[in-house]
Amino acid sequence: MPTEVIEHREAASATPRKLSTVRGRQDVLFRAAARSGGTTVLLIMTLVGVFLFVRGFDAITDAGTAFITTEAWSPNEGNFGIAAVLFGTVTIATIAIVLAVPLSIGTALYISEFAPRGLKRSLITIVDLMAAVPSVVYGLWGFLWLTDAILPIAEWISTHFGWIPIFDVDGFEPGDPLSTTTVFTASAFIAGIVVGLMVTPIASSIMREAFSQAPVGEREGALALGATRWGMVTSVVLPFGRGGIIGGTMLGLGRALGETIAVYLVISPVFVIQPNILQTGTNSISSLVALRFNEASEFELSALMAAGLALFLMTLVINFGASMVIARSRSGAESEG
Amino acid sequence: MTRHSTTRQVAAALGIVLVLVGVIQGATVRPAEAAAAHAPISGAGSTWSSNALDQWIRNVFSNYQWKISFGANGSSAGRQEFANGTKDFAVSEIPYDLAGSDAADPRPSRPLAYMPIVAGGTAFMYNLQIGGRRVTNLRLSGEVVAKIFANQITVWNDPAIAADNPGLKLPAIPIVPVVRSDGSGTTAQFTTWMRQQHPNVWNKFCQDAGRGSSCGITSNFPIVAGSRAIGQSGSNSVAGYVANPQRVGSITYVEYSYALNARYPVAKVLNAGGYYTEPTASNVAVALLGSRINEDPSSRDYLTQNLTGVYNSADPRTYPLSSYSYMIVPTTADYGFSAGKGRTLADFASYFLCEGQQQAETLGYSPLPINLVQAGQAQMLKIPGGDPQVKGINQCNNPTFSPDGSNRLANTAPMPADCDKVGPVQCTKGTGGAQDTETATSNGAAGGDDAAAGGPGGAAGPGGEAAAGDGSTIGADGEVQLAYAEPQSLPAKGLGIPLTVLMVTIGLALLVFAMVPPLAGTRRRARRSGVPPPW
Repeated sequence: MPTEVIEHREAASATPRKLSTVRGRQDVLFRAAARSGGTTVLLIMTLVGVFLFVRGFDAITDAGTAFITTEAWSPNEGNFGIAAVLFGTVTIATIAIVLAVPLSIGTALYISEFAPRGLKRSLITIVDLMAAVPSVVYGLWGFLWLTDAILPIAEWISTHFGWIPIFDVDGFEPGDPLSTTTVFTASAFIAGIVVGLMVTPIASSIMREAFSQAPVGEREGALALGATRWGMVTSVVLPFGRGGIIGGTMLGLGRALGETIAVYLVISPVFVIQPNILQTGTNSISSLVALRFNEASEFELSALMAAGLALFLMTLVINFGASMVIARSRSGAESEG
Repeated sequence: MTRHSTTRQVAAALGIVLVLVGVIQGATVRPAEAAAAHAPISGAGSTWSSNALDQWIRNVFSNYQWKISFGANGSSAGRQEFANGTKDFAVSEIPYDLAGSDAADPRPSRPLAYMPIVAGGTAFMYNLQIGGRRVTNLRLSGEVVAKIFANQITVWNDPAIAADNPGLKLPAIPIVPVVRSDGSGTTAQFTTWMRQQHPNVWNKFCQDAGRGSSCGITSNFPIVAGSRAIGQSGSNSVAGYVANPQRVGSITYVEYSYALNARYPVAKVLNAGGYYTEPTASNVAVALLGSRINEDPSSRDYLTQNLTGVYNSADPRTYPLSSYSYMIVPTTADYGFSAGKGRTLADFASYFLCEGQQQAETLGYSPLPINLVQAGQAQMLKIPGGDPQVKGINQCNNPTFSPDGSNRLANTAPMPADCDKVGPVQCTKGTGGAQDTETATSNGAAGGDDAAAGGPGGAAGPGGEAAAGDGSTIGADGEVQLAYAEPQSLPAKGLGIPLTVLMVTIGLALLVFAMVPPLAGTRRRARRSGVPPPW
């Protein structure tokens, strides 16, 4: 008996048995639908990239490497590049993220760990509602209300921290009664705050999801070992939700980089690298495209497409980076699969 | 979790089915609607003209139920959308393929005609205070205006501005020019004027902005980094920026009606006749007598304007930055332009060329003169599918029409006051949206040092609060005159308690409406599953 079994096994390992799966019709249909959905998304992404590249090809070949290093934007005279707009885009997005990350971690932690049951539901609804508010509304709010409200803060920062180069403002003398506060309007700082408040709800939703999935067993373990609630949060929830924090931040960053209309309404576009974030005048790729698209000659359009391609690639890299980070973390491995 | 997602899937599927049913129903209903006389039309373009256009659209909707939508997203965008065929008409201050323009703006293959719609003045709305009081009687010569926007005059107490304003002691605060950041017909008109009248200033500015030695007429005003200039998108944004009480020292170029709406003053601009004038309806009407219009119907640019004569008109009643804007209409029935749409557009044109012009003055524009109306009516007949009524002089009700065919508004236009003449005397009366606010001046030989000291008491703010008191002004002839003002109570502009309560209630109801379904949903799900929600 035993020898027979061994022989049988050897035969099996020599030529592996073919496993044929017979799938039901439902299963086949579902696989086809799911697969075509996934492929379509990839295909559309690729096509967008290819489209931008093809349309922007003229401008890129014409400008060469100067496209990356030139600050001015006059494609009709052949003198154009994305240095200034790229810098502005990154500045605005960075300010937005610096503001949005602590705010959304705090919101998410409060909702998932500290808020009483009744409040929790309304808070979740309100945060989701905030994410659904159109960006033009944020833009109008920033233009009509926030700009004025934030001026004293910008002025205060510039007065006391003006010795840090990025907070310096040209043409502003603290204490000079004749100086005008208009130098603080339409700045990267204000645009960054508006965009930051726009991305906070999305980032905090993702973080809350991750925090709420922290295993109950580990939470109870921490509490049973005598941890306070804060101790439990720092030792279990935050390490577990690290992927969610990074993922939410990166998704927010991606959105902040591409935000168009709110930035368009707030900023005063200039085509120089403007490192003083409190000072009037900044720029971003998406608002440049929105502002100039209507008036563009064929070549100018090509230049705008090339600028769009740069933004597309940057956002792509950031989002891929984010998904890789998320996939490596515990909560991410479960939720992103 | 799985149950939730299946419910969600079912809900989504249901949603899609509902949408599809709606679409199919819409599609089956539509042919029935097309048979109706007036199909809805949509247009886009000029923010310069949009205040007038919006009013007309409201009027024809309430009287005839014609559905017309207009997106005021800038002339450049309007021309682009018309060329693409996404809009049925466009409104623009400049034609396609403008000579001297910096940007290629080719005439589209879509056949089109230009139809004048409304005239008006590009005004310089400003926010300036002397001693805490708003200045409402600023005067500027063309050269100074050009230099302000070209960053060559940067403070309000510049000698050139002082020379225009002998009665004002201007403060040493910086000038903040506010310009359009989007592609704008107002910018195109303004730069046309700058380029033609002050080429040295304009070309130097172009160099500063890195646009080469001459940047031509442009719809995108260059913003020089490091200057105080601020760019904002749209007429409403630039006007709103200047009309903010915190923005003392700012000035912008915008259609006159925006200044009226914002209740802010506009600068009087020096014309070739030696007077400082405001862009009132009559001043614009007089100025447009000097415009040379392309009257060759066979030309592609039939009815487009050449404004050199307007800029240099020696009539003292002229406002030099006057112009009119065009509606760009299709002349063939392609790009989905149906007969029903043609009917609506042609009848709308018939309305605004005549009756609509009556409102032009109150809206801050100027009615079109008779020659432009008649030419516009000829263009209107080219709209395919239209069957408009061509109204003659007697039926038209256009305020510029008089039986002998001359321009009644220009004939009856008042001469400017003597104090508006170039010289040491300056009017105290307010301008633009701040007509009722006087500004004290130190005019003539007896001119005092402190301009703000002799403020007339009756200066009521736009908020409607009444001010009272005696104040002495120094009159034009140098004598001290005593002004006396009665306390006035103006009707409050507040909403009143019932309206406020109603608005708050509606707001709360909306909030409840938005929040109840998700809350109820989670509660029910939690109850059904017997475990607390998964967060």
